[in-house]
Amino acid sequence: MIRDGGCSAPPEAPFALVAAGEKGITLTAVNAAAAREGLGSGLGLSDARARCPHLRSTEAEPENDARALLKLARWCGRYSPSLNRDGEQGLWIDVTGAAHLFGGEASLCGDLTGSLARFGFTARLGFADTLGAAWALARFADGGDAAAIAPAGETPQRLNGLPIEGLRLAPDTITLLKRLGLRRISELRRLPRTSLQRRFSSQAVAQAVLTRLDQALGERKEPRAPLTPPPRYLARAAFPEPLISSAGVETALGQLAHDLCARLGRELQGTREIAFTAYRVDGSFAEIRVGLSAPSRAADHMVRLLDEKIQAIDAGFGIDCLTLAASAAETLPPEQDVFVTQGTRAAPGHLIDRLSNRLGAPCVFSLGPRASHLPERAEQRRSPGALNEPWAEDPCPKPPRPLFLFARPEPIAVVAEIPEGPPARFTWRRVMRRIVRADGPERIAPEWWQAIGRSSRKDRPRDYYRIEDEAGGRYWVFREGLYQAQALTGVPQWYLHGLF
Amino acid sequence: MSCAYAELQVTTNFSFLRGGSHAHELAARAKALGLSALAVTDRNTLAGAVRAHIAAKQEGLQLVVGARLDLHDAPSLLAFPRDRAAYGRLTRLLTVGQRRAVKGECDLYLTDVADHANGQIFIALPPDDWTWRPADPGNQEFEKALRQVNERLDAPLYLAASQLYRGDDRSRIVALSALAARCRTPLIATNDVLYHEPERRPLQDVLTCIREKCTILQAGLRLEANAERHLKGPDEMARLFRGYEEAVSQTLEIARACTFSLDELAYEYPDEPTPPGKTPQQHLEDLTEAGARWRYPKGVPDKVAETLKRELALIAELNYAPYFLTVYDIVKFARAQDILCQGRGSAANSAVCYCLGITSVDPAQIDLLFERFVSPERKEPPDIDVDFEHERREEVIQYIYRRYGRERAGLAATVICYRSRSALREVGKTMGLKEDSLSALAGIMWGMRASGEPDTYVREAGLDPTDPLLQRTLELADELMGFPRHLSQHVGGFVLTRGPLSEVVPIANAAMEDRTVIEWDKDDLDALGLLKVDVLGLGMLSCIHKCFDLLSAHYGRQLDLAGVPQEDPAVYDMLCKADSIGVFQVESRAQMNMLPRLKPRKFYDLVIEVAIVRPGPIQGDMVHPYLRRRDGIEPVDYPRPGPEHGPPDELEDVLKKTLGVPLFQEQAMRIAIVAAKFSAEEANQLRYAMATFRRRGTIDQLKDKFVARMVARGYDPEMAERCFKQIEGFGEYGFPESHSASFSLLVYVSSWLKCHYPAAFACGLLNSQPMGFYAPAQIVRDASEHGVEVRPADLNWSLWDSTLEPGAEQGWALRLGLRLVEGLRENDAERLIERRHDHPFENIDDLWRRAGVSRATLERLAAADTFRSIGLDRRQALWEVRALSDAKPLPLFEYAKARETGPDPAVQLPVMALSEHVVNDYQTMRLSLKAHPMEFLRAQLRREKVLSCEQVRALKDGAPVCVAGVVLVRQRPGSAKGVIFMTIEDETGIANAVVWPKVLERYRKTVIGARLVLIRGRIQRHEEIIHVVAGRLEDRSAWLLALAEGTRDFASPLARADEVRRPSPGSWHPSRHPRAQRIIPKSRDFH
Repeated sequence: MIRDGGCSAPPEAPFALVAAGEKGITLTAVNAAAAREGLGSGLGLSDARARCPHLRSTEAEPENDARALLKLARWCGRYSPSLNRDGEQGLWIDVTGAAHLFGGEASLCGDLTGSLARFGFTARLGFADTLGAAWALARFADGGDAAAIAPAGETPQRLNGLPIEGLRLAPDTITLLKRLGLRRISELRRLPRTSLQRRFSSQAVAQAVLTRLDQALGERKEPRAPLTPPPRYLARAAFPEPLISSAGVETALGQLAHDLCARLGRELQGTREIAFTAYRVDGSFAEIRVGLSAPSRAADHMVRLLDEKIQAIDAGFGIDCLTLAASAAETLPPEQDVFVTQGTRAAPGHLIDRLSNRLGAPCVFSLGPRASHLPERAEQRRSPGALNEPWAEDPCPKPPRPLFLFARPEPIAVVAEIPEGPPARFTWRRVMRRIVRADGPERIAPEWWQAIGRSSRKDRPRDYYRIEDEAGGRYWVFREGLYQAQALTGVPQWYLHGLF
Repeated sequence: MSCAYAELQVTTNFSFLRGGSHAHELAARAKALGLSALAVTDRNTLAGAVRAHIAAKQEGLQLVVGARLDLHDAPSLLAFPRDRAAYGRLTRLLTVGQRRAVKGECDLYLTDVADHANGQIFIALPPDDWTWRPADPGNQEFEKALRQVNERLDAPLYLAASQLYRGDDRSRIVALSALAARCRTPLIATNDVLYHEPERRPLQDVLTCIREKCTILQAGLRLEANAERHLKGPDEMARLFRGYEEAVSQTLEIARACTFSLDELAYEYPDEPTPPGKTPQQHLEDLTEAGARWRYPKGVPDKVAETLKRELALIAELNYAPYFLTVYDIVKFARAQDILCQGRGSAANSAVCYCLGITSVDPAQIDLLFERFVSPERKEPPDIDVDFEHERREEVIQYIYRRYGRERAGLAATVICYRSRSALREVGKTMGLKEDSLSALAGIMWGMRASGEPDTYVREAGLDPTDPLLQRTLELADELMGFPRHLSQHVGGFVLTRGPLSEVVPIANAAMEDRTVIEWDKDDLDALGLLKVDVLGLGMLSCIHKCFDLLSAHYGRQLDLAGVPQEDPAVYDMLCKADSIGVFQVESRAQMNMLPRLKPRKFYDLVIEVAIVRPGPIQGDMVHPYLRRRDGIEPVDYPRPGPEHGPPDELEDVLKKTLGVPLFQEQAMRIAIVAAKFSAEEANQLRYAMATFRRRGTIDQLKDKFVARMVARGYDPEMAERCFKQIEGFGEYGFPESHSASFSLLVYVSSWLKCHYPAAFACGLLNSQPMGFYAPAQIVRDASEHGVEVRPADLNWSLWDSTLEPGAEQGWALRLGLRLVEGLRENDAERLIERRHDHPFENIDDLWRRAGVSRATLERLAAADTFRSIGLDRRQALWEVRALSDAKPLPLFEYAKARETGPDPAVQLPVMALSEHVVNDYQTMRLSLKAHPMEFLRAQLRREKVLSCEQVRALKDGAPVCVAGVVLVRQRPGSAKGVIFMTIEDETGIANAVVWPKVLERYRKTVIGARLVLIRGRIQRHEEIIHVVAGRLEDRSAWLLALAEGTRDFASPLARADEVRRPSPGSWHPSRHPRAQRIIPKSRDFH
């Protein structure tokens, strides 16, 4: 199965997924075009490049692949409840007694292949009496893209012609068998079991070969572990008499939140998202989703967050079922309960959640440091939850920064000694100020890498001065450009950037 | 205002990933700014000192030698030795620090500095986070530390102050000045220079990122806030330090006090080789005389006696006797241990060296003028490299350490620099380019050596050359190229001194255990006139030694290098036919092409043959003129100056032996001196510029000088240009006549062996692998084509090495050794051979009981099909071996055991096809004696009208051709403008294909990736040399896979390889197993 979606390369261009391994970056999967260029998984990226310079590549995301496979497995639940993922790239479905629902085995396979193709997956199907045989058929049967189906009872015959790789054996074992000239499953079956057994380094390996063979032939049962539903945290309340008023919903919500949080608490989980769903008698439903800034299992907090939106639910002909689900659960260690409940201050997290829910998430943030010498870039917005994280220490001590920084530095007229003297006086907003004290310059060069490609921007450093006027006002001014470099970069300009 | 200033705190790029400029850039800038002197203070190292020294000398600037000492328990100090003795203490101090640390680091403490402080001047550096605020704890800590340093060091101590443009500089300097006064450490101005001009800041930022392993966006405050750490002139410094003029003028006092210059490092030869009571010259003369009697038992020829006298006089004049004695001492040891060796280099091809046994090139046979190589006016040190058998070189190295001690012997360093690819990769990472684009660029630069237009290859990589980020990245990578990145050890360049070596240059630990390395590389040593002896390993010497042993054991013939019959016409006949597989040097594709054209008939022709196929003569376009003159198509003519400028035959002397065409490096240098009138100094500059620094500016300057002077003296301008191009070519792969002559002897000896004793020669080659161009398969094949009977490796008949055994008809047959069996360990094989004794193993049980080796070892032997003598092929042998139990076999319990598990029923395993056997042979032995893989494909090939390599040889020039074969060698010579040479092989022989860049572009993946290739094209025939000029190429590697699977279905060989239609079930896929993946050993690719 090759993940082709999500990348910008057209399907006809060679494309590969890569991952860093012991031997440097290697390909983990290729598309059809790359395979035609002779590339395959396991090849080093640089070698691949040498052969095919136009190869595009993207980091492989095995976790996402696994997630996608799981999703696909769940989707396949429509064919049979007994199914699971198999390795990184396979699925098995036990359709015993279910095939007739789809019009027989062939048409079931056709249905499945067609659906998978629509999703953008290339898939090969094997269909047999045993899991092992189906595995082998899917991977090694000849016959183009059609599903390989072993009709009931013909599994051993179909297996005979397949290569021994079809037996799900370790690579070392396969190598050994092939060196002994045993390439097909039939050749392996022909040999006496005892002679075969003796040729393996350990009893376990020998047993593995025979076990796999027996499993594929159906002479030995193979345990299967079907996919189990994920743990879900859901509280549910059904009402024989449909609720019409929002007051009723509110009351029920309190109980639901309490139930949900109790379940979360038992398993030491907290949630970052809750979904409140109201099912109306006519079959329609309304849903409210609320995000939390930190994992929580505080029932009253949830109620407060939902309360504000509950009014918006239209009860219609009445609501007969309510559910409250914790959709994003995370581990949340237990906390000590507070003794005092009356008059305590709400935790900042609760305030942040309420503000975010009311104003919209982007409107609530905290400030954090950013490692930049440029003062206007030295801070950045971060999520409000990061409030308690400490600011990183500056490796080199800097003179104090003003408390108030203009969003845009304001031009000023300055009288100063050339080339690097501090201002003697300056005019800002039409008021002339005489300077009595000054310190500086602190020279900050522009971040050249930000200016790449923006030729209009002049590459001029700034000289910052801390100055104090007669009235005791303290200012942070800078001169952009150097008098020494005037000929090249133009006349320096003065600006006021902040107030202390 | 007139002021003066010397910059004393300068970091060059030898403080790896800190300094942003080369020493020569700094020196030139310092000169231009009018600095009085420049100090170079790299971190705990003097590795860049020599380069700085040369650069400063060229600029006429005083260099203050120094180092920045970063200590574990005290503030960092700059140390400047005032005189030679103090310098020796500084190098010893650095040696102490480096020897105790891991490679690349230096552990130093204040105590160590105190022990070596005498005669130095120190400057203490306030730490980076030092602030002027008195309340700051760091402030008081530093004051305490400074007082302590001042107390401990018995030497002048200053306190450095720099203008950092941090906003509080005034306060800082006031505070530092007060601190200096309190601690009695005078304040001194420095600028803590990281680069020579402000424009270097971006590169310096990039270096910081590489060091910190982050991208430029992540680097943040780890970068400098501004571009102020460049060199500043005296006026600027005076302005910055207004009110502290003394701090600026003090710098001059330090510079004045530190008079030490690296020129003072006079070399002193070790005196061990000279017996007491004799002068080295006397001793050398005695040894030479004795040697002459040994070399010429029938009396020394007059000509040689004359030469000896002249050479000894010159050696006496230049005082080189101790050097010759040192080399002689090493060679003597090797000879005593029966290690074959051969000297080469400027001084090696002298009659003296012949008599001392350092070389075996008879001066009577070849006319090499010693004076041409070692001349009094050029102050070059003599240069002798000695090649030893590669398997035994370590013994020689350990002898040298033993004899001179680690205190006095050290290996030279090799400075590893950023090359185009590594620079691009590092800069690209820093600039946040995706791995994807980076590898695309790096992939395209495969062997391109930055020759093409950068835009073309960027576009080729599918990237946009006008993208500003990419452009900036390429610019920065270009700037970074040539920066040193780390020091590594030279392969065998030894420096030996009389006094402790650590007082000449700091010594560090090498990555390899038991090795110590000095901080300077061979160019640095050359520049200072320090002597080194190159102790190198050469595979061919091992091979020749083994051949001599075989000759003595089987043919009763005792030979040594000098004793091989000279000028044997049969040998030259063989070489003229380009029958040279396995022969030293002339076995490469290009050399094989040259042999039939050059038609060597005497020893000196070989000297030319070895030197002519090199970038120098090729780039200088000297090859064809030489060949034409040799064939008499073009008259021999010497370039001459205008009549008013000198004698018309001034170059005749230089070029006579090569028919007026300069071919050797020495000739090019002589032309510079004779025709372009370069002074000795200028000629040296030329050599440095070419060999090491590759400084574009300097080279262009020298080129203008060279060409202009020759033209002014009436030479043909085009000829002058060509001569210079040739010198440029030598720059990369210098190949002088003196080396060529020594190599030619090995060419001759190996050819002679191949010609007269092909079995012994092949045996020697196989036992010296890996070496040379060809894999064992080609060596074996070549041997059998020369009538040698080759027998397969067998556990009953083979030894570890390949051997000669009595042949079926007459002479000796070659029995392959067990060393060819892949993965077999030597001691396992030895045990087996020892237990085998004189009784061959009769059957598998006998083997198991007696051999005493593990089952895994037997399995390896089975896989290599060595069980034939006990009647088992590899598959049956494997079946039997797998059944052996792991426990030690005890004969008594054999019966009981059989009863327990039941008898092993007889089993008929599928029979292994011959084709499968052949492929298995290749997998386990890298060769097969049974058949060639191509034989099994021949029927199919014939259907496709594919010719065999043999048929190709009969075709006419221009004929269309289609040929297929296994790829043996791919070469992309630097001199061939992007052309790839491919050698392919089938069961009838080999064929050579040329792939031009345009074709390469279309069939790149096939050209580079295919193991088995089908080539359609045309024949290009030039006398004996036949090439297939490729037009279309097809990758048929899948056929080999099919052979390995034992199937004969070649019609759709890709059926199994189609990854898409047949999704690969992860790690279970057969092609993922390494063993299956490599059907035929990978070709040897050279680029």
